[in-house]
Amino acid sequence: MFRALPVSRQAVSKRNGGLVRISRRRFVTETTDTTATSSVTPPKKSSYFLTKVIVYTAAATTTFYVGGAFLAFNNPSYHSFYQQNIPLAPSVLQYGEDHGWDSLTITDVIVNAYDGVSGAYSFVRKQLGYSVEEPSTKVPSKPKPTIENRENEAKTRVQRAVDRLKTDVKVEGKKAHDQGVKAAAIARHQAIQFTEGVEELVLEAEAALMGKPFKKSSPVEATTTTPDQATPVALEVSEPQPAPVGAEPAEPAPKNVYNVPLPLGHEPPPGFTRPAPPKPPKPLAPGEPLPLVAPAVEELRSSEPVLTHLAQTIDSLASFLNANPAAANKARGVLDVAKNDLSGLAHSFERLREEERSKLEQSLDEQTREYTLKLLELELQAQDKLESQETDFRSFYEEEKARFASAYREKLEQELRTQSGIINERLKEEVIAQGIELQRRWIREIKVRIEEERGGRLAKLDELAANLKRLERVALDNSTYLDENLRVHALWSALRAVHGAVDAPTRRPFRDELRVLRHAAATRDDAVAGAALDALDAGSAPDVGVEPLADLASWFATSVAPAVSRVALVPDEGAGVLAHVASHVLSAFTFRRQGLVPGDDVLSVLARAEYYLNEKDLESATRELNQLHGTAKTLLKDWLDAARRRLEVQQALEVVHAHATLSSLLVAQGH
Amino acid sequence: MASLTPTPASPSKPTSSEDIVAQKYDRCLADLLVKSGIGFSVGVVASVILFRRRAWPIALSTGFGAGAAYADCDRSFNPARIAGVRVLQQPPQESK
Repeated sequence: MFRALPVSRQAVSKRNGGLVRISRRRFVTETTDTTATSSVTPPKKSSYFLTKVIVYTAAATTTFYVGGAFLAFNNPSYHSFYQQNIPLAPSVLQYGEDHGWDSLTITDVIVNAYDGVSGAYSFVRKQLGYSVEEPSTKVPSKPKPTIENRENEAKTRVQRAVDRLKTDVKVEGKKAHDQGVKAAAIARHQAIQFTEGVEELVLEAEAALMGKPFKKSSPVEATTTTPDQATPVALEVSEPQPAPVGAEPAEPAPKNVYNVPLPLGHEPPPGFTRPAPPKPPKPLAPGEPLPLVAPAVEELRSSEPVLTHLAQTIDSLASFLNANPAAANKARGVLDVAKNDLSGLAHSFERLREEERSKLEQSLDEQTREYTLKLLELELQAQDKLESQETDFRSFYEEEKARFASAYREKLEQELRTQSGIINERLKEEVIAQGIELQRRWIREIKVRIEEERGGRLAKLDELAANLKRLERVALDNSTYLDENLRVHALWSALRAVHGAVDAPTRRPFRDELRVLRHAAATRDDAVAGAALDALDAGSAPDVGVEPLADLASWFATSVAPAVSRVALVPDEGAGVLAHVASHVLSAFTFRRQGLVPGDDVLSVLARAEYYLNEKDLESATRELNQLHGTAKTLLKDWLDAARRRLEVQQALEVVHAHATLSSLLVAQGH
Repeated sequence: MASLTPTPASPSKPTSSEDIVAQKYDRCLADLLVKSGIGFSVGVVASVILFRRRAWPIALSTGFGAGAAYADCDRSFNPARIAGVRVLQQPPQESK
């Protein structure tokens, strides 16, 4: 068992005439082994041999059955053969179907083998005391890696790489998420810069309420809030919004002033206040010696703001001068002049205004005058137009009236004309009708006269003509009778000719005779005969002729019957070469049957057909032979075709024969 | 009396229908000879070239040829055994 294959060695002997002889030698030890075993076990030889035989037989049988079962599942023809011809096969097949052998494939086998081997391997290793790792990793500890371990190694490596990738991806994702959060927080942080002030203020307020001193926290602390805290603070942004609005009035003193211009409608941010509006200029105290210009132009303040502004500037100048009383006296004169000038300006303004007003009134008057004139003109024009339209309408109306009158007159004339036409027509018709009446009367009179004449002199001529006609008829009848006789004779002759051709001892074409026969038979009105002859004419039988009966019989006896009897035992379907050869051989040993033997098998049918042929009954023989089927029928095809052709021709001729008999009887009877 | 050879059933076959089986036998025999001969020659060539002049390739190849001839012969006798031919069951026809 250890040396499974014999090792052969070649020894090339010296060349001998170009031939290289190769000889084989086996190991010497093996021969000694065999000799040793043979020397040791002569007494056990028979039992060893028997066991070997039994083992091999059992193995072969099992392999055959199981292999046959698998093959049967995959190959339907073998399945049928297997099931029918081998004992115990159906039970094996049933067992196989129950266990699903028919759905087994090569891959299943390989997978199962692999699983089995790996399971066994792990089991053995477990038994031997090695640690068995989880089936997922299967990292080998032995230095000698087998193919499976290498596979597992690759698998674990791939797995680890995948895991690493997964964690990397997760870490990256977390980082990105953090960064995003940070950016949002920074944006929000900028927006709520001011809320830090809010916090401080709130704390301040609380401190004030609680009476504690408030320590202003450095802004650095506020900026060190972590982004994580930014988010909760952002949430509070909306909340403290109303709070600082309320906290503002509670402040002890505003700390920050918001000097930047605000957009419309917005409040300054909390903690800031609007700068104080610019102070209005303080009016001078009434106890000053300097004259004030402003009161002088007070009444014009509403219409001439420029003047008031000017006045105000002058007043301010005056107030400034009040501060330096030294220059006050000098300025007094100037101020007086200024005051006079201003009042003069005001009066001149008024005058100008009045002038403008008067001018405007004048222009307005002129315009009204113009427009009234225009209105009058337009009125006159309108009146003229109206008058002209009136005259137009009236003339149009006159015209219409005249047109209607003429149209009506025309219509009346037309009516008159048609009526006169109709009356004329009627008169004409009456005249024509009278004319026709007269003509008819005259023709009738003429006819009557002619009749009289005829009755007299022409009567005799009539008789003569009638007699002649009778004679004619008789003659015609005779001729038709003669013709019919001739035709029947012709038909009979043609029929006899065709019969002669068909019954000739050799095969002869009878196309010409058939043509003559058809011609002879066509003049009679017989549908059956005509149809039969037409069918006969259409086939190829007249061109090649039909087999004489003797030939058919001899043909059957010499070649057809032996050939068919040799194929007699072949099954109808599924007959291979072996079946044919078996039939060939066995038919040599069958009993020859003769006469009218009953039975359905091929040989009996052949015997019956032969009997009928001997009786010259082709029809019965053909009928018998037509009942065969399968290979025998195939062999008989030619003979059956020939026999059928002959029978067809015979049948057609019989029909024509009957028809000819009938017509001759009719002729004989009719006369 | 010598029987007249009748005209053939079809112009392509110069023999009449009852000689079909005999013709098939002849063709089978010819096939057998030809194919066995071819197999024999192929076997001889193979044996000389590939198998170091042993006897069994010749016999094997001849057997292949004979088997192919037998299979063809079987198919010609039984057209149902040709690959891909399926015989449908028809109801039995009445005889004339």
